[in-house]
Amino acid sequence: MLCNLYPYFISETLCEVNNLWSEPAQLQEITTRSKFHTLLTMGKLELLQTLKKDDGRVWNVAWHPKGDAFASCGEDKSIRIWAKDMLGKWSNKFVLTEGHKRTIRQVAWSPCGNYLASASFDATTSIWDNHGGEFECNATLEGHENEVKSVAWSRSGQLLATCSRDKSVWIWEVAGDDEYDCGAVLNAHSQDVKKVLFHPERDLLASASYDNTIKLYRDDPSDEDWLCCGTLTGHESTVWSISFEGNGKRLASCSDDHTVKIWKDYPPGNPEGVATEDGDSTWKCVCTLSGEHTRTIYDISWCPQTGLIATACGDDAIRVFKEDEGSDSNAPSFSLLCAVDRAHNQDVNCVAWNPAVAGLLASCSDDGEIKVWNFVDT
Amino acid sequence: MSRFSGVLQLTDLDDFITPSQECIKPVKIEKTASSTGAKITIQEDGYFQIDEDGSAQKLQKVEITLSDCLACSGCITSAESVLVTQQSQEELLRIFEENKNLKLQDRTEDAKLIIVSVSIQPILSLAVRYSLSPSDCAAKLSQYLKQLGADMIVDMTIADDLALLESQKEFIRRYRATKSDGVKNILPMLASSCPGWVCYAEKTHGSYILPYIATTKSPQQIMGSLIKQWVGRSVEGRQIYHVTVMPCYDKKLEAARDDFFSKETQSRDVDCVITAIELEQMLVKDGISLDTLSNSTFSQPWLLKDDQEISPLLTRHIGSGSGGYADHIFKYAVKELFGEEIENLEYKNLRNPDFREAVLEKDGVVLLRFAIANGFKNIQNLVQKLKRGKSNYHYVEVMACPSGCLNGGAQVRPKDGTSVKELASKLEELYNSLPVAIPEQNELVKKLYDSWLGGQESDKSSAVLHTQYHAVEKIANAFNIKW
Repeated sequence: MLCNLYPYFISETLCEVNNLWSEPAQLQEITTRSKFHTLLTMGKLELLQTLKKDDGRVWNVAWHPKGDAFASCGEDKSIRIWAKDMLGKWSNKFVLTEGHKRTIRQVAWSPCGNYLASASFDATTSIWDNHGGEFECNATLEGHENEVKSVAWSRSGQLLATCSRDKSVWIWEVAGDDEYDCGAVLNAHSQDVKKVLFHPERDLLASASYDNTIKLYRDDPSDEDWLCCGTLTGHESTVWSISFEGNGKRLASCSDDHTVKIWKDYPPGNPEGVATEDGDSTWKCVCTLSGEHTRTIYDISWCPQTGLIATACGDDAIRVFKEDEGSDSNAPSFSLLCAVDRAHNQDVNCVAWNPAVAGLLASCSDDGEIKVWNFVDT
Repeated sequence: MSRFSGVLQLTDLDDFITPSQECIKPVKIEKTASSTGAKITIQEDGYFQIDEDGSAQKLQKVEITLSDCLACSGCITSAESVLVTQQSQEELLRIFEENKNLKLQDRTEDAKLIIVSVSIQPILSLAVRYSLSPSDCAAKLSQYLKQLGADMIVDMTIADDLALLESQKEFIRRYRATKSDGVKNILPMLASSCPGWVCYAEKTHGSYILPYIATTKSPQQIMGSLIKQWVGRSVEGRQIYHVTVMPCYDKKLEAARDDFFSKETQSRDVDCVITAIELEQMLVKDGISLDTLSNSTFSQPWLLKDDQEISPLLTRHIGSGSGGYADHIFKYAVKELFGEEIENLEYKNLRNPDFREAVLEKDGVVLLRFAIANGFKNIQNLVQKLKRGKSNYHYVEVMACPSGCLNGGAQVRPKDGTSVKELASKLEELYNSLPVAIPEQNELVKKLYDSWLGGQESDKSSAVLHTQYHAVEKIANAFNIKW
């Protein structure tokens, strides 16, 4: 059933979202946000399905590149693979256990969809092979001193990146059958590194840290090593997550400082005349979204299909932003399209737009639940 | 900027956690027994326990030594602070000063005999820094250290030779034990001279990796034994203060290991380690340019005779600038195990120039497979292969710093406009220009085996020239659990 094409559907539980949305208190709150050009509801998130409680918090959900399945992970040390059943409901197809001894913090599918990487607090990263629906753990990447916080694949699937509380970012090269060689150990951050993510089009790696910065890295061809080629400063507290725009020209980041920042790639020789160094792009903050979130923003997802940005927040809400029509790319403006204030009962840890089906969003929370949403324009 | 090798920086050494914040070493706090109700107040000059009757008692400060830190898995020690007090230029200068004063007071017999052992890599680093030839640089460095108060400056090549010879023999023992007796987990033999690597292996991989690490001491510690035990015997009861000049900070950690504290002399075999970059700082502080000093001599106190001063004449060993372990052991093994001679080892770069291998092949069969792995990344790949049983090496020369010891973490930094890589290749070039020393042909070493160690392969030489390693158990502690 993994190859089901996703039919648009709306028949599932729609309920609470709309109810919440129509409360007068909500409306009032939204109007005060007008400085961000927020109009009243320009869209809404409909809850399609709430998936059975796991044991303990769910840290992360990751869509399969085809968009017809997703993986979740969390405190129960297992990975669950979800896909649609005969009735078109998301249901748990596999539970992968015995890969890790502690919490699994993040899962990531390889671009080809045949491998799933899992990053765990047990200091290891496991690679699971998908053999026609059977998952087998065939490699374990060891080397981090302590908790691995995040794992990401490069576009080619030939590189993996991991990061840890040990403050380092590691790059792994796929070296053949179930062999992964350490290609670089990068010690650019001065604190815990929360997230790693590759650029969608080239081998540029970004990492976000407790040291309030985002760092960028690229291959150094003269040295067969990697180097830090950019530091993005501006957040006033931990940067929890990052997400590239579909074309890779911009990066969105979210932080413990309750803001979202948009960074734009200014390559050497850019017409705007932004100075660059050593032939590397300058990534400049062109927009800060503040005032919307009331707590730490734990995750951010920039939809490659619709351009919508979703955020997962410690105030239990999920918010969706859209860039305004005709916004200047050097000083863009974004508007809040909708906010689901009690999207979950506790912190929302992760939001992820489906890569194939526009508007489909998965979220997960400390409350142990995974929810699947559909964004609709109104 | 830290001067530890990258390996140790990653293992929390030089970490942002300082001992005062998160040290987990249990410490007995000396305070009077009292019933409940005592309070602790913080005042400007310390912590005070206030008893119920109102009396205040100052609480002792927790003192953490470098060896406490080395034995602990908590934070290896961010102990730059600890290091700085025990292994610093200030400490060295204090000893020099103290000694000078004793001599001024005509109490020469109470003054220490200060011997400084110099390794080749920092001399080359300073030679490039001050545009001197290596031997000139050594002679002027000798002059500078004597001005400061050192009694003798000695060349460490003799200890390098001993370390190479012992490593060669150890390899043959391991190889034969594996082939004929089926002993497991002793090949590949891994180099033991880099303390950053050894410390990392102890803290991170423990019993998995330690059996593979050669038990042969590093040249620094062999020099320590030679100076404190052999030379010490002949100095008529004077206490020796032994300083080594080294290319990296990790050597300070090595000198501080409990294994290298001698009960016999009640002192460490190496009392203080000073590095190239610290010497440069001292020279700058004193307003001295090394090239302006006159040349002085090196001593050979192990000859145990009066006429032992010579002009320094620096040499190198074949192979890498980290001591040439892989080359020496390979050549020796080819001869000893297969009765052949080879002139030059040809290395093939693997993933990068810092991971290269050399093989001995006969009739399509690989008889020996050696490698040099420098830098953390390559160490990592080596260790992981070893753990998964996928390593087919017989010997690996492992060094924590990229490019090995010539590029040690505490070598003088490149001046503006030069890259680290350019400087490293300049140092390599300079190293390769030196005349080659062949350990087997060192007559002095042969004499030392006979007179000091009771012959080669004797119990005494294995006791004096070998050491052991200790896996550090990970301690789970609440501080270690963070999101």
